[in-house]
Amino acid sequence: MDGDSAHSMEAEREMTRLWRTFRTVYELLADRGYEVSDNELSLPLEDFRAKYADPLGYPDRTKMKIQARPTDTMKMKYTPLPSKANPNPQPDCGTIYVDFCPDSSAVGTKQVRAFNHLVDENNFHTGIFITQTPISPSAVRLLSGVPGRICEHFQEQDLLVNITRHELVPKHVLLSPEEKGKLLERYRLKESQLPRIQISDPVARYLGLRRGQVVKIIRKSETAGRYASYRWVI
Amino acid sequence: MAQQGPSHPLKTSLPETYAAVNAQQPPPSYSYPTQEEQDRYLEGRPGATQQHLEVALEHAQQIQSQKDAEDVILNRILELLELPSSQTADPAAPSREDTVKLKYSLAPFRPDDYDNLILERNFEDLCGGPRGGFQFKYGPKGSGPGGRGRSVDIVSQDRVEKWCSDACAERALWIRVQLSEKPVWERRAGDTRGTSILLLEEARAKRLKAPAATSSVSSVVDDLQSMGLGNDRSRELALERGDTSLIRPDGRVNVDIRENPHGSQQVAGAPQMRPEDANGGSIEGYVPRERRDVDQDGDIDLLDQI
Repeated sequence: MDGDSAHSMEAEREMTRLWRTFRTVYELLADRGYEVSDNELSLPLEDFRAKYADPLGYPDRTKMKIQARPTDTMKMKYTPLPSKANPNPQPDCGTIYVDFCPDSSAVGTKQVRAFNHLVDENNFHTGIFITQTPISPSAVRLLSGVPGRICEHFQEQDLLVNITRHELVPKHVLLSPEEKGKLLERYRLKESQLPRIQISDPVARYLGLRRGQVVKIIRKSETAGRYASYRWVI
Repeated sequence: MAQQGPSHPLKTSLPETYAAVNAQQPPPSYSYPTQEEQDRYLEGRPGATQQHLEVALEHAQQIQSQKDAEDVILNRILELLELPSSQTADPAAPSREDTVKLKYSLAPFRPDDYDNLILERNFEDLCGGPRGGFQFKYGPKGSGPGGRGRSVDIVSQDRVEKWCSDACAERALWIRVQLSEKPVWERRAGDTRGTSILLLEEARAKRLKAPAATSSVSSVVDDLQSMGLGNDRSRELALERGDTSLIRPDGRVNVDIRENPHGSQQVAGAPQMRPEDANGGSIEGYVPRERRDVDQDGDIDLLDQI
């Protein structure tokens, strides 16, 4: 009986941890501008357990697959400004697919190749691959090498808490190309004259920012109230 | 008569001369912009010149070639995951095709890439076996403190399970030390490190074939000479370091005096008395004053007569 209870305790722990990760993923999708319902955002642990637990009480990651479509505001933000060469630009975003890797260790090129294949076959615009352990360096390279698609990788423990909800993390807002143009005009800047933010920055990774975009960072200041600064993603 | 072949044999840099050769080579992964595209790009930018654009393109090409090289390495890693080609292959005596493939594929690798390959291979072979955690590794009897009992090492499980046997580990690390640390896009044409990889068994066979080392001086000299220390390559390197002079390996200019065969054929004769030389003559057209005096006055200096 003791062994059984220890077993279920461990299952319970893993279930709770994964539930938190799962919720953060939905928050991430909502923050990026995908269509996410309120039910999904506030999924209680009991419902999560009922839906994704296997007979032993452990989470079944193969069932946990998420797809989401971009909202109109997101499409607007990802539509480049019309130019002479491209007078009618299409939004550079589309359906996102999130996959939880069931392997508890040794995630290498094999799993990543399967994931890439899945993303490519189903014609998803973006894919997020979530693993329990770090993936091998060659797998990282392979993941970023899909032409025309964006594949990202997170570890489950990275998403255990939502970093953007921390009180010390200021609010990051992505600017649309139009807003970016206005900003540069208003301050008479070239984009290279803006302060920068790395593409590997945790918040940039969370928001899925791409090179060349500009984020507005709104922080509270004791002396100036709200203070906005702009950073160029590089 | 109609002429066959190219009408201007000297203009070998004409593109059509090499069209057949160029067609055989794979197309580059990037396309160099044509002059028209470059002009169009420069039109909208009054501050930029053709030179700026060329510098930018040069750097872009370098970066692209690095990316291409990394892609090649990634593809080679994926290919090498499938070795050995047959399940029954003996690791000590791999098949010829596998050996050729391995040597060919490892050429652009750095030791780091090789480690990645090993990591990937471990992932593939283990298939979700228990990893992480630690394991006790017991030494042979009598290896403990004070010669009693057994020594105990605590080793991480990853390290224990990395190789199937010590022989395998030796083979793999033997290859690793032969790889070049330099990334492939920085290697130069003469760099043989990394391109001539020997498997452990091949290296052992080679060593056995070589005559057994003796302690005599002559054999040591022979060995040193066979190492090729004095050949052109090492001289080149010494030149690069500035060790030796270009002219003599000894470091001194070699002076070699030889007679000019053409100049020494005519033998100079003895001087002959000419009539104008009776009074001593002139020295390069200058007639000394005393004699001039005699010529002009007809007097004879007393002092001269004494």
